[in-house]
Amino acid sequence: MSATEQGTEPVSSSKEASRGGKACAMAHIFGMRWNPSWRKVNVSPLEAGVVLGFSAALVQAYFKVIPPVAYGVCMVCHPRDLVNWLADHLLKIEWDYSLASNAWPLLTVVGVVLGAMVAARQHGESFVRPSRQRWFYFVNGFLMMNFGLILGSCPIRIVLLTAYGDLLGVVGCICIILGVVLGTMSLRWSARRSAARGGTA
Amino acid sequence: MTAAVATLVLGFVIGYLGQRSRLCFVSGYRDLFLIRDASLLKGVIGAFLGALAGFILFGFMGGSIVGFPMFLKTPGLNSVSAWLIAVIGGLGVGFVGALAGGCPFRMHVLAAEGKRTYWFYLLGFYLGLIFYNLVTFRILERITSLD
Repeated sequence: MSATEQGTEPVSSSKEASRGGKACAMAHIFGMRWNPSWRKVNVSPLEAGVVLGFSAALVQAYFKVIPPVAYGVCMVCHPRDLVNWLADHLLKIEWDYSLASNAWPLLTVVGVVLGAMVAARQHGESFVRPSRQRWFYFVNGFLMMNFGLILGSCPIRIVLLTAYGDLLGVVGCICIILGVVLGTMSLRWSARRSAARGGTA
Repeated sequence: MTAAVATLVLGFVIGYLGQRSRLCFVSGYRDLFLIRDASLLKGVIGAFLGALAGFILFGFMGGSIVGFPMFLKTPGLNSVSAWLIAVIGGLGVGFVGALAGGCPFRMHVLAAEGKRTYWFYLLGFYLGLIFYNLVTFRILERITSLD
């Protein structure tokens, strides 16, 4: 290990010297470009997607996140499991949760919030910003949870199910794409309408 | 316990990467349709390919990848009502996701960044869960019992 480092270090240090003394040594770890001088991590969506899909398969294969297949990541079902498990064990309310979270609840959603907070703090992107259109977003969240549980998965798990070869994944993926097209068209329509109103008034 | 710790660690990793890369599974389709930009859609394709590679690899290595290439068979879609429910759910998720501007994963990341708008989204999200348990779940049971 030390021999290879000794082999590469003079090259990187000469590059650094040529760039005006800035430390530009780039370490590639799982596709992340980590620059030690700025302490910033830049990841492309493709790399993040590959890591997400692969590790979702890993937790299913070796960490018991199964009976429902392709259940490694789901941002609708895992919160449902967590809340319903807590309701069942603390308040004795019998609400359904999956067999994967029978003994302990799945904590994906807690991890996502913690990870995003750490990333935002580390890169100076974490500020409390004032809210806008709060009731619109409230209703959107309410409907998203209900439609997601009617479908039985979130847009991430639908992609995992499609990779698994499940017909539900393919049908759900097509329906989600159609729904996104309809939603975008309705946003366009409402924007045009408000622009026309603004023009006449 | 294993599953809880594994999903906590996995959640931390994907939350971190999601904040850095703006990965979103609804904006990918929306950007392609609206502004012909496929950069976010590459994340969706990457997740598909990564999951496929993982399922094949861990299936060969003897992990618990049960009945992996399902070849479009499914335990879920076995009746008319199941098809109806899947189609309504899928269209609803896509429509609402396009209106809100992202999938639930992206909304959790944005809320963690401190944007209060998305705190209200999450408030609605978890109240929606209680509503689902009390009302929607019962309605779905009625519909599936009609078959």
